[in-house]
Amino acid sequence: MEKKEFDALLENCRLSLDESEYERIKADVDEIIKYFDQIDSIGTGDYKEAFHPVEIPGEYRNDDPKKFEDVKGILENTKTHRLFVLGPKI
Amino acid sequence: MKSYIKEFESMDKPSGYYTELVGNLESLNTELNAFNVINKELKDGLPFSVKDNLCVKGVESRASSKILKGYIPPFDATVVSRFKEKGFGFLGKTNMDEFGFGTFGTNSEKMARNPFDPAYTAGGSSSGAAIATSIMKYHAAIAESTGGSISAPAAFCGVVGFTPTYGVISRHGLIDYSNSLDKIGFMSRSSADTRIMFDAARGRDPKDSTSLDAEIKNTKYTKLTVINQLMDGVDKDVSDRFEKLLGKLEQQGFAINRVDLPEISAAIPAYYIISMAEASTNLARYTGFKYGAKVEDFSLSYNDFFKQARTNFGTEAKRRVILGTFVRSASVRSKYYNKALKLRAMLIDRMKRVLADSMLISPTMPVKTPRLDLIEKLTPVQVYSMDVLTASPNLCGFPHISFPYDYADGMPLGVQIVADHFQDHSLMSFTDKWEESFEYKFKHNLGEL
Repeated sequence: MEKKEFDALLENCRLSLDESEYERIKADVDEIIKYFDQIDSIGTGDYKEAFHPVEIPGEYRNDDPKKFEDVKGILENTKTHRLFVLGPKI
Repeated sequence: MKSYIKEFESMDKPSGYYTELVGNLESLNTELNAFNVINKELKDGLPFSVKDNLCVKGVESRASSKILKGYIPPFDATVVSRFKEKGFGFLGKTNMDEFGFGTFGTNSEKMARNPFDPAYTAGGSSSGAAIATSIMKYHAAIAESTGGSISAPAAFCGVVGFTPTYGVISRHGLIDYSNSLDKIGFMSRSSADTRIMFDAARGRDPKDSTSLDAEIKNTKYTKLTVINQLMDGVDKDVSDRFEKLLGKLEQQGFAINRVDLPEISAAIPAYYIISMAEASTNLARYTGFKYGAKVEDFSLSYNDFFKQARTNFGTEAKRRVILGTFVRSASVRSKYYNKALKLRAMLIDRMKRVLADSMLISPTMPVKTPRLDLIEKLTPVQVYSMDVLTASPNLCGFPHISFPYDYADGMPLGVQIVADHFQDHSLMSFTDKWEESFEYKFKHNLGEL
């Protein structure tokens, strides 16, 4: 993978690597992609994508409003101001 | 059939039993790094441990990652609440490779060590669950497998490791690695205990839309199948010992069948492509302000804030986020991600043909237990290749069980049996039979009465 392409990928991932990590991980990524490329030689005929290994009935919960069981517990994992979770600017 | 759980329930416990157990466990844990958290308040019930990627109410749960440091879930994972309802007592959170990313238990702040010899790997990613099972006589371990994370450590630590059919155990409360591959399972010292744990935990859960209320079958198979291509990369000594095992099973009345399945070579790359794709999306939720480790500088731009938070990922996590994002990129998605999903469909179909009238058998791992200093020298591709025998059943969601069948140079060797979807009880029946003629060895017996 070209350096430019790898840098764009890192940007997409929102990852910044230090110098030693950058060289090591880039080399690993190149080697692993080559390893992945071996699937090119195996045909899949008419098989469709299996998004799950077994059939999932796809029964969903009703979209009913309900109260969280433990709002205090959830908010204890965040920094809050009044009942608002504090986060970065968008 | 030996059940340590039933034996424990029927015996009187001396006063101070739990205090002594916890004290001894803390002492041994400093050497082996089995636990991230030990519950000193345990007072009742058969002690059960929980892999650190499952939420336990009020107990730090961080999948051995720095990015989740300090995260205290306000709820129990469904499997944990079901164990508590059955009277099991919560003992602690077990060590693991960060988010499940590893085969040897080395991708953790505290490297897990094998109870038979601490210079050797305990396997991963459910390393702590396997160590805890190996060192405690009366104990039940909840573990989790994505690509072999139960079988590998079970084999290296000499315990029974069971991975159920995908969907049979609710994943609610699991810190996800790869949603279409993650399966919660169990480790124990006997097949009978595995059955007790599995039956306590299984069944549909409205909180997990992929959980199933399936009929679990118990078929008495008389045929075992070896896939020739899987044996190609197996270490000579492991292969020789495995052949002896097959001879023993033949004497016990099993027919041994050998088949070619060349497409099985796609299982490892397909597994890693799918798991990394799903991991890269799952790990996007760790933004540095909702869970765990916090970024305090709110003056940073959103992207810089996010980047700062993600410096808390370990090297393997970063590698998998990068590769997972790459294989989902619009320009290569069909070449990698969609192709891997089609390969999964094909492998399920091909393997089901073999599993229609037999179970698969292979060594669990292609090598004897490696020393930790040798693992450090392996490249990522060499490490991934170690999953050659565990990747296909995990990719395809087939239930499988690993148990000890031999000891080489004092270290255990595991064999793995794979059955068709929902034949979970058939695996335990097979292992029940095996345990009638083979006694497992353990180096420690903490909590012995």
